[in-house]
Amino acid sequence: MTNNDTPRIPPLWRRLYSVWFRHVRVYTRNMFSNALPPFLEPLLFLVGIGLGLSRYVTQTMEGLSYIEFLGTGLLMTSAMFTSSFECTFGTFIRLEFEKVYDGMLAAPITVNNLIIGEILWAGSKGLFFSFAVLCILTVFGIISLPYSLIVPLIGFITAVMFSTLALLITSFVKTINHFNFYFTGLLSPMFFFSGVVFPVADLPGKIRPFAELLPLTHSVRLARAICTNRYSASLAGDFLYIIIFIFVVGFFAVRRLRRRLVN
Amino acid sequence: MPDNVITVENLNKSFGSVQAVEKLSFTVRGETCFGFLGPNGAGKTTVMKLLYGKCLRDKNDGTVVDVLGYDPAQNELAIKSLSGVVQQEDNLDDELNVIQNLWIYAGFYGLEKNTAKKQIEYLLEFLELSAKAKSRIKELSGGMKRRLVIARALMNNPKLLILDEPTTGLDPQVRHLIWDKLHQLKKRGTTILLTTHYMEEAFQICDEVLIMHRGRNIMCDSPKNLLKQHVERFVLEVTGSDSMSVLDSTELSQQVRIERSEEMTRLYSNDTEKLRALANKLEGAQYYLRQANLEDVFLRATGRGLDDKQ
Repeated sequence: MTNNDTPRIPPLWRRLYSVWFRHVRVYTRNMFSNALPPFLEPLLFLVGIGLGLSRYVTQTMEGLSYIEFLGTGLLMTSAMFTSSFECTFGTFIRLEFEKVYDGMLAAPITVNNLIIGEILWAGSKGLFFSFAVLCILTVFGIISLPYSLIVPLIGFITAVMFSTLALLITSFVKTINHFNFYFTGLLSPMFFFSGVVFPVADLPGKIRPFAELLPLTHSVRLARAICTNRYSASLAGDFLYIIIFIFVVGFFAVRRLRRRLVN
Repeated sequence: MPDNVITVENLNKSFGSVQAVEKLSFTVRGETCFGFLGPNGAGKTTVMKLLYGKCLRDKNDGTVVDVLGYDPAQNELAIKSLSGVVQQEDNLDDELNVIQNLWIYAGFYGLEKNTAKKQIEYLLEFLELSAKAKSRIKELSGGMKRRLVIARALMNNPKLLILDEPTTGLDPQVRHLIWDKLHQLKKRGTTILLTTHYMEEAFQICDEVLIMHRGRNIMCDSPKNLLKQHVERFVLEVTGSDSMSVLDSTELSQQVRIERSEEMTRLYSNDTEKLRALANKLEGAQYYLRQANLEDVFLRATGRGLDDKQ
């Protein structure tokens, strides 16, 4: 074996891919325990709602039966929660307890590569999770193919959006228990007030503008439009919100986390 | 003689008000082993991190950091692609087995599939881990984990290998095995930079040793020269403070150099006969006459007391 003489730096796409692949590899090691819950959870939800609650909810919501309305919302909440868990608890454990990042940063990977690879992985998980919900919804005949097939892509960008927020939170957190505030204080309210369980239009007038500020509101609107194949011009605004959110929050998340990794 | 692989001049690093590295200068010649010795908190790990861009140095005029022809502040990727780093923690992926851990790093270094396969097989063999290729990380002993981390750092046949306390907490067998491997790597042309607390390790494998204390370079030379220039050749260690009362202390201090700690007095001299004669006067006391070693140099240079960073 002879020693390396000239630097062979892998190209950018290769560096991002190798970080992403590391996460995929670790995740897929426990296929059974990791891949089953994303299917099980929406199933439980729909069975519970279908058997019980939906009998009492007879009104339509935005022209959909309750089970359709809720189902299309769940496509996005599953992406939101998986990416939020991955980039809070997951990232923190890799950062502080396992010191996985320290090892990776000794290889030819920059901090930016590492964090962006992480965000892409969270996005992929969101894609997979919303795909799982899509499967369940389709099996139950709640939504119909083929146009809803592209909804996992919205799951991807939703998960990317929430991963940037989660990473920004992580950059502030000193002990792992602080994440509880984030989940109870921000994500749980978002679940209830972003048009997942009831339409945003039904909120009191003074609160409505706040619902528009919540990122999940915009994802749910896009997902529902795709599943019902009913588009309107205002969706461009929702899409723009998500893209701007990703870049602005992502910028600060990367900047703050970089200081934590390289000091 | 090979060129310098690392040139550092006037390197400074502070964390808030703590000065971790202060005005540090050193050079590492190619194909040698360079060791950093120092108490905990001396700044050894920080220096390693500054070399491969894990830490950012203070911006000072006149600071030069050149690693393999590159400045880590500008070209960390080039440095990282030419070097391997073994950090203090065994930061392996517990979810994956031994060979999968190596595959992940083959990906980080951008190795092609066939090259990677050969390299992984070779590394498992080189570090005597072939039988454990399919084992889970949790099943490995501390020594095996360490060897796997070293194998991982050798993935790209590095020109420079940086090891931060590579043998801390390992048994003598594994320690000797690792020393052997480092010798082999050096013979093959790898430059090795390591930090250690073990004086014996530094003496065994380092061509040059830098003793660091509170972020500063205290002394830097070959282990042999350090011994020759900074400490007497022999030591008489006397246990218990009472035993010393039989010796006349004023006369004694003219003959030998004395270092006292609570339960041990050490008498240093180049003349072994003189020490033996003194030992004979110590009736019934416990004593031990030995050659001075690097630990004596180290303790003389960095002091016997603990400071608040240790």
